[in-house]
Amino acid sequence: MLISRKCEEKRLVVEIRDLGIVDYKDALDVQTDILRKCLEKKVLDTLIVVEHNPVLTLGRSNKETGIVDRGFFNKRNIPIISTGRGGEITYHSPGQIVLYPIIDLREKKRDISLYIDFLEKTISNSLNSMGVEAERRAAKRGVWVQNKKIGFIGIGVKNWVTFHGAAVNINNDITPFSHINPCGERDIKVISAKECAGYEIDMREAKRIFADQFIVDFIKEYR
Amino acid sequence: MEIRLPELSGREETAVITLWRVGEGGKIEKGDDLVELVTDKAAFDMPAPCSGILVKIVKKQGDEVKKGDIIAVVENNLREESRWKNLTE
Repeated sequence: MLISRKCEEKRLVVEIRDLGIVDYKDALDVQTDILRKCLEKKVLDTLIVVEHNPVLTLGRSNKETGIVDRGFFNKRNIPIISTGRGGEITYHSPGQIVLYPIIDLREKKRDISLYIDFLEKTISNSLNSMGVEAERRAAKRGVWVQNKKIGFIGIGVKNWVTFHGAAVNINNDITPFSHINPCGERDIKVISAKECAGYEIDMREAKRIFADQFIVDFIKEYR
Repeated sequence: MEIRLPELSGREETAVITLWRVGEGGKIEKGDDLVELVTDKAAFDMPAPCSGILVKIVKKQGDEVKKGDIIAVVENNLREESRWKNLTE
């Protein structure tokens, strides 16, 4: 899927790339390549939409206490990868939508908190469109359904160009989250859109909703 | 020249220095990655604001910093730079 959307008013253009289900490192190669080109102003702002094969990723703020039961992941040959994003530990697997926006903020609003607010808003708006009552919280980052976390944030910013991004539980099995302290928080409860809805979500349709909503919110925030 | 932490966010947030990509005495080029900082959910690679020699790291790895803090000192004597260029060409 490759879609370009344009806002003529301020020449805001975002290209959407759906990579399907791929290993974390393969998606990272794609991200790194687009990031390099974006820094050289050779490509448009891009949103990568992807699902990962099972993997644990550690952010730059990761602490040793993030993994509660290492054996659970070892038994299943689930790799543990240190990454260059912010935040702590999280888990990815098919059925989870991962968004990697590579956005050049050099000529937009240079504000990291505002950018994270925008990511949280677009995730919660997308989930609301799917009938999931998700919301942001004033005191804690991420997107929540009541007291359970459904959307996770961890970004990188290189010379004001963003990479890495967010993950949202849609149909994925959330059991592995009980073997880590997601985002470094103990006793955190995690939920998926499937659990909220009571039925399997159409992933193709979910990705379309997330991509469309991203464009709408991006234009609203950065025009 | 003193290098100060730029404004990363409109909110009054602190960041923690996680990695200096150049050590004291190292040569830096404007725009190259200089230092990595982390906030709550972001890792930020700050580019060098000028070229020169990094003579002093004021804020070390693990230090908490906020907007406007002096984090390093760079000597960017143009004569030195041109002498360096002549030596390396």
